[in-house]
Amino acid sequence: MSDIPSAEPNHNALNIQGLCKYFFGLRALDGVSFSLSRGEILGLIGPNGSGKTTLINVVTGLLPATSGQVFVDGTEITNKKPYQIAYAGLARTFQTIRLFRELTVLENVEVAAVSMGLSRKAARQRAIEILEEIGISRWSEMLASVLPYGLERRVEIARALATQPKFLFLDEPAAGLNEDESEELLQVLSSIPARKNLGMLIVDHDMRLIMRLCNRLHVLNFGKTIGMGTPEEVRKIPAVLQAYLGKTVAGV
Amino acid sequence: MNLAARLKPFDTPLTLVGAVLFLALLTGLLGIPLLTRIVTVMFVSLILVLGLQLYMGNSGILSFAHIGFMGIGAYTSVLFSMTPAAKELTNSNLYPFLIPLHLPFLPSLLIAALVAAIIAAVLSYPLMRLSDAAAVITTFAVLVIIHVVLVHWDRVTNGPRTLFGVDSYTTLWTSVISCVITIFAVYLFKESRIGLRLRATRDDAYAAASIGINIVLMRWLAFIASAFVAGVGGALWAHFITSFSPYSFYLTETFVILAMLVIGGPSSVSGAVIGTLIVTAAREVLRAIENYINILQIFPGGFFGFTEVIMAIVLVVILIYRPTGIMGGRELRWPGRRRLSPPVEQEPVRNRNV
Ligand SMILES: Nc1ncnc2c1ncn2[C@@H]1O[C@H](COP(=O)(O)OP(=O)(O)OP(=O)(O)O)[C@@H](O)[C@H]1O
Ligand SMILES: [Mg+2]
Repeated sequence: MSDIPSAEPNHNALNIQGLCKYFFGLRALDGVSFSLSRGEILGLIGPNGSGKTTLINVVTGLLPATSGQVFVDGTEITNKKPYQIAYAGLARTFQTIRLFRELTVLENVEVAAVSMGLSRKAARQRAIEILEEIGISRWSEMLASVLPYGLERRVEIARALATQPKFLFLDEPAAGLNEDESEELLQVLSSIPARKNLGMLIVDHDMRLIMRLCNRLHVLNFGKTIGMGTPEEVRKIPAVLQAYLGKTVAGV
Repeated sequence: MNLAARLKPFDTPLTLVGAVLFLALLTGLLGIPLLTRIVTVMFVSLILVLGLQLYMGNSGILSFAHIGFMGIGAYTSVLFSMTPAAKELTNSNLYPFLIPLHLPFLPSLLIAALVAAIIAAVLSYPLMRLSDAAAVITTFAVLVIIHVVLVHWDRVTNGPRTLFGVDSYTTLWTSVISCVITIFAVYLFKESRIGLRLRATRDDAYAAASIGINIVLMRWLAFIASAFVAGVGGALWAHFITSFSPYSFYLTETFVILAMLVIGGPSSVSGAVIGTLIVTAAREVLRAIENYINILQIFPGGFFGFTEVIMAIVLVVILIYRPTGIMGGRELRWPGRRRLSPPVEQEPVRNRNV
């Protein structure tokens, strides 16, 4: 399943081809290939330690790939520096929240627009609009360090959006949220790809959220792809059922 | 738009400039020579501390190299400001081509700052990718390198010997005007596109990189700007003190300006100003006590180092109980204060179960 030959790099998509990441002996990623188009929501799922975060880290340049290639709109970005990859159009959030704690919520978002070349004034305007869209403009003057937990992840999403990415990677955006908050997040996220014409990759253990949000799923286990397809198709794949067997994950 | 609204974004630098100008006017009116001397040196120190804040406060990385660039600024400015006759008199070793150089004070000062900035640019580029302890230790190495060069390059610096005969151009007024300009410059840097991005890297380097910030470049630019300000401070100081040696730009001075910045709070411009005022006042009081004890001859062998020891203890205590300094990252502002606490209608804080 993992060795599906990929086509020529698509000119309007993110293409990942045979990506490997070894930590000494450990194969955290072992030949993962897939592509993500603009406007699409792809769910990347798998048990704990299956390599989801590692994939995001390698694609965004935080970790060097052992082998394999990544293309954005046909241009190779493998092992470029993280800031160069951000310029190429990739943005992300972090599983362990990483906000600029001594900046206000507004500045957290503004700085992302500034780093893409906007003046402070124009960046501020863009940040105000995005905070409005994400529904956290009430908190814009607050220091990020005193923000309630449920909102921190939203600020990360707003910050990532302020770079106007072509592709957005969200690492467990619903982690630690209760059902209401998770529902609210779903509303916010579901409209983003179409409105912003970006491809969104979302990693989460909340299967209700994943199943409702994603057009397509990609399942990892021990760094290998064990299934891909629509949520309905993936549910029926024996290897996926096997990987999740004994786990109490709703919806699978 | 009315004037108050127009000035609102600048309330912090205006408040600080107001305080500095007030002090200068008061000192000028009192006309006590000792006080004028103390306040002038304080303004020069303030320029150095502001320059250090520019790099340290925004990048979050401690730098020991700053006083080295002050030294470069001091020596370079003197090479241009001294008359050829004075140069031949005080430094017979000088390279012949340096002797005819002679410019007024202001261009000498600007060239000195530029030279400090250029040397900083060359020396620091490879260091800017380092973080944490490595970044700090290497700035210390830069200080040592500059010091050793100043001591041994006697065809430029007169070597370890005291260089004397510098014209006294720096007055209370030149120093306070330089301070005002520096306060605005450092504040505008903090609020600039570079400053904002640098502060983001200070808070989280990974997140900063993920939104497209080139950390090495931002740090490098700030380090260069910081050295420029140190060069200005060095040039002003040289033309106030009028005789100095390479030992004037080493560990003691480094400790003093670091103490000023750390006590005031490195991550705000207001912290740099408050720290400089408080430490200057405290040092003068402690020094007076030290002198008084020596006059009374309570200790037969003399009583020395009291000021330095107390300053060091205060620094340690501050670092333990208030590691972010007196200002704790905040800026002084006058009318409305920035909202730092949650708005009225706040969502309950969730358990952090991840
Ligand atoms: N920097 C690293 N050095 C060594 N091993 C690592 C490193 N990062 C991740 N790993 C290992 O790689 C494997 C994959 O980890 P990863 O964090 O990608 O899993 P994940 O799918 O994101 O899991 P979770 O759902 O718990 O977040 C794990 O075994 C982990 O211990
Ligand atoms: Mg993970």
